[in-house]
This record gives sequence, C-alpha cells and structure tokens, in this order.
Amino acid sequence: MRRPKKTDPFAEARIRFVDYKDDRLLSRFITETGKVLPGRLTGATARHQRQLAKAIKKARYLALIPYTKGSQS
Amino acid sequence: MPSTKSRTYEAVYIFDSALEDPQIAEKLDRHHGLLSASGDISLEHWGRRQLAYPIKKRENGYYVIAQFTLDDVSVLPEFERALKLDEGVLRYLISLHERELGAPPMTEEELAARKKDDDEDEDEE
Repeated sequence: MRRPKKTDPFAEARIRFVDYKDDRLLSRFITETGKVLPGRLTGATARHQRQLAKAIKKARYLALIPYTKGSQS
Repeated sequence: MPSTKSRTYEAVYIFDSALEDPQIAEKLDRHHGLLSASGDISLEHWGRRQLAYPIKKRENGYYVIAQFTLDDVSVLPEFERALKLDEGVLRYLISLHERELGAPPMTEEELAARKKDDDEDEDEE
C-alpha cells in the first residue's frame, strides 16, 4: 500500500528558495525538540528539503530558532 | 571561482542590544567602509528581538541584514576580522546572496505577493 503523495509545502507557498531568515516558516519544520523534520513528513521535494536543512542550520546559528528545546536540563 | 567576478553577499549582524541606535549605525558605517562595495549597501534593520538561546549571556540582540556586491572579494577577510574583534557584535553571518546559491530572481509580482503575505500572516496557525 502506498501512502498518498504529500504536496510540497514550499511549492504550495510559492517559495522558490528557502530563506534562513524566515523563522516563522522554518519553525513549522522542526520537531518539538528542535530537530529537522524528515522529508517524508514535510512532503518537500528533495531540493527543497536540502535547502530547508541548510536554512535551519543557518537560522540556529543566528539564534532565530533554538538548537534544542523542550528538555530543560 | 575567479576573484575577478563580482559577487553578491548577504550579511546578518547581531549587535548587543545595550548599544544605542547611533552607535550601531556608526559601527555599520565603519565596518562597511572596509568593503568598498560597488553600488549601494542595502540595509534592513530588524531591531531588537529575543535570541532563541543566550549568546555571551545576552538574551536580546539587535538584528541588521545587509546586502552588498563586491567586485573585489579579497577585502572579505579583513572585514570579517573587524567584525570578530568588535565586542558589540554578538554574532554575524556572511553568506552568498540566495541568487548566487541558485535561487531564481524574484519577479515584481512575487515581491508584491510576499509583502502582502507578511502583512497577513501575523495571526495564523
């Protein structure tokens, strides 16, 4: 059984290049603990998923989104 | 990549939010003076916002985004050095502009649409 194909959320939002400065957008693609959501869950095309991963890493460095969250030590 | 090719960069600076606005403007001018950029340096001040995690014990930072084009990229190391030594800069990131990374140029329409989205998005999700 194949699961139905998800549509690329970036294509849907007419985004052509994922922007690392858009923390509101990026925060939709990280888990509650701050990990990058896998492509099979985001439904992004491989190209957009790669852009997303890089954008998230830049945004983390700039303290726009956290490296980790949730588990307070 | 030959050094003769002009390239467009985007830099994000996070200043110590304790600095006064004129001090930040002065620092920007001073650092950007090192670049001898061709054409204007476009600046976008995000202003003070909360950091996702503390940097140098600071909870807030003053964000500025700059875009500039360099004909001679050999000035970059000196520029970075100045930023690194500046205590008022909590963090900076210099990267190639998205166009240089393969993003297609935005049409006027898209720019307008994006502007509109930004205005409307405020309260969704």
